[in-house]
Amino acid sequence: MRRASALAFIVMVVAAPWLVAAAVPRQQRYVLHVLIFTVLFAALALSYDLVVGHVGSLSLAHPAFFGVGAYAAAILATRARWPFLADLLAAVLAAAVVAALVGVPLFRLTEHAFAVGTLGLALVASIVANNWVEVTRGPLCITGIPKPVLGLPGGPTLAVTTLPGYYWLALAALAAVVLLYRRLTTFRLGRAFHAVRDNEPLAGAAGIDPLKYRLLAFTIGAALAGGVGALYVHYLSVMCPEEMTVALTVNLLVIVFLGGVGSLRGVLVGAVLFTALPEVLRLAPTWRLVIYGGLLLLVVVRSPEGIESLLRRASGARAGR
Amino acid sequence: MALLEVRGLVKRFLGVTAVDQVDLAVEPGELVSLIGPNGSGKTTLFNCVTGYLAADHGRVLFRGRDLTHVAPHRVARLGVARTFQQVSVFPRLSALENLLVFLQQHQEEHTLARLIRTPRLRRLEVEAVERARRLLDLVGLTDKADAAAGSLSYGQRKLLAFAAALMPDPDLLLLDEPAAAVNPTMINQMKSHILALHRQGKTVLLVEHNMEVVMDISQRVVVLDHGQKIAEGSPDAIRRDARVIEAYFGR
Repeated sequence: MRRASALAFIVMVVAAPWLVAAAVPRQQRYVLHVLIFTVLFAALALSYDLVVGHVGSLSLAHPAFFGVGAYAAAILATRARWPFLADLLAAVLAAAVVAALVGVPLFRLTEHAFAVGTLGLALVASIVANNWVEVTRGPLCITGIPKPVLGLPGGPTLAVTTLPGYYWLALAALAAVVLLYRRLTTFRLGRAFHAVRDNEPLAGAAGIDPLKYRLLAFTIGAALAGGVGALYVHYLSVMCPEEMTVALTVNLLVIVFLGGVGSLRGVLVGAVLFTALPEVLRLAPTWRLVIYGGLLLLVVVRSPEGIESLLRRASGARAGR
Repeated sequence: MALLEVRGLVKRFLGVTAVDQVDLAVEPGELVSLIGPNGSGKTTLFNCVTGYLAADHGRVLFRGRDLTHVAPHRVARLGVARTFQQVSVFPRLSALENLLVFLQQHQEEHTLARLIRTPRLRRLEVEAVERARRLLDLVGLTDKADAAAGSLSYGQRKLLAFAAALMPDPDLLLLDEPAAAVNPTMINQMKSHILALHRQGKTVLLVEHNMEVVMDISQRVVVLDHGQKIAEGSPDAIRRDARVIEAYFGR
């Protein structure tokens, strides 16, 4: 039964472009655009949750890694005319390398000092994006980033030019992130991550090198964020410094902490709710942000551990009866 | 050769000398207790041996290997297990997982292999689960295997931490106050567990305040006071030692 409903859910998610076309034909483009953003934000939030949720390091540097990937892809695709898959891979690697390099000194800091250090990194990255005009074109933005073309050199290619096509590409990326997230956060790796998060001195006594596992989660999280950055700029076809400000961190914090930190389902629900909700609320433009803020407060007050704990209680209550 | 040898160990915190020129040797298979009034440096000594603190002077040798500046996780992997005075478990992992995590790092394997979950790893995992369940049985936590460790009582967490330390089958076990703040039944339980380990030939170094436990089970007792070793000998000899009596009761 559970398997059947999960399957039905996946079919619905994959068939969403047709469902949207049938349900709201006149707003099809707009709804699909929101869906694409939701899917990309879900992938980004999961990559963030690897760090904050599973090794318990409150990093605020995620926009920097997203930005490194986004700019790497944008520059390689426009100036060097790299094919999509190559610049995507380069974006992933560039973000991972930056994270591994800054991670070593940053993880000498603990807890709040670490958060402030990573915030500093995010601010520096944002300043560099604005001011290193020769490379990033600063506030003029990098424009004309081509639509993604899938395929390997010499083989057949497939250009992703339509909104449904892009939605499915984003969905495939999210599926890959979900699989990797599950692999990393369960079994022996997950246990080691969680041991470091729950009790660092004791993790040492268990033979776990806390720095190694924190760096691993930090680097993989950054690599995935870089990949999402590449997908993002190929979708929008433009990359500006505003895309990597602290506002992005705030969005991620809302999604992860109000959704359910350290939980796949919680983060996915959070991503859907807090990306789609502000859009749905456009129906009441004047009160939009007030209602949004009010809802955030409601979640924080009623369920400080996030929506995931509400869902868990609900399903637990049903199973118990 | 002694299994553990501490030579001239000194550890200072600002002006205070917490451990002052301490020598200590533990032979393979021995059960040695480290006692002394509060603040005499017992836990600091433990922390220097297991890599949590860097000694200012002196050396720590395990099987002749210098541990003085080795990180805690490496000390653990060399076969030195320790427990903590403040009961220490991973609260959000289940009791079973708390044990599993203590063994997995001893099975040297590549991170990539863990990501892929190779058949060899799955076999090791099955064996680890079997061993963990046996140890949970031993300490009487069989029915708590799937409970979050944070939901267990104080005494149960203490037993869990003890079982976790046994998971990798360590060569040397450092126990920091296993009998503190638990009820008399559990003290007896703990005592018999430690004795059973001793009979199996394990080497145990014990920090404990409960004199009954110390005098009952130790082969040898080492007494610290103000960071210095003031006496060492059989439980009977220590009981009669004038300096020890003075350290505990004053002149």
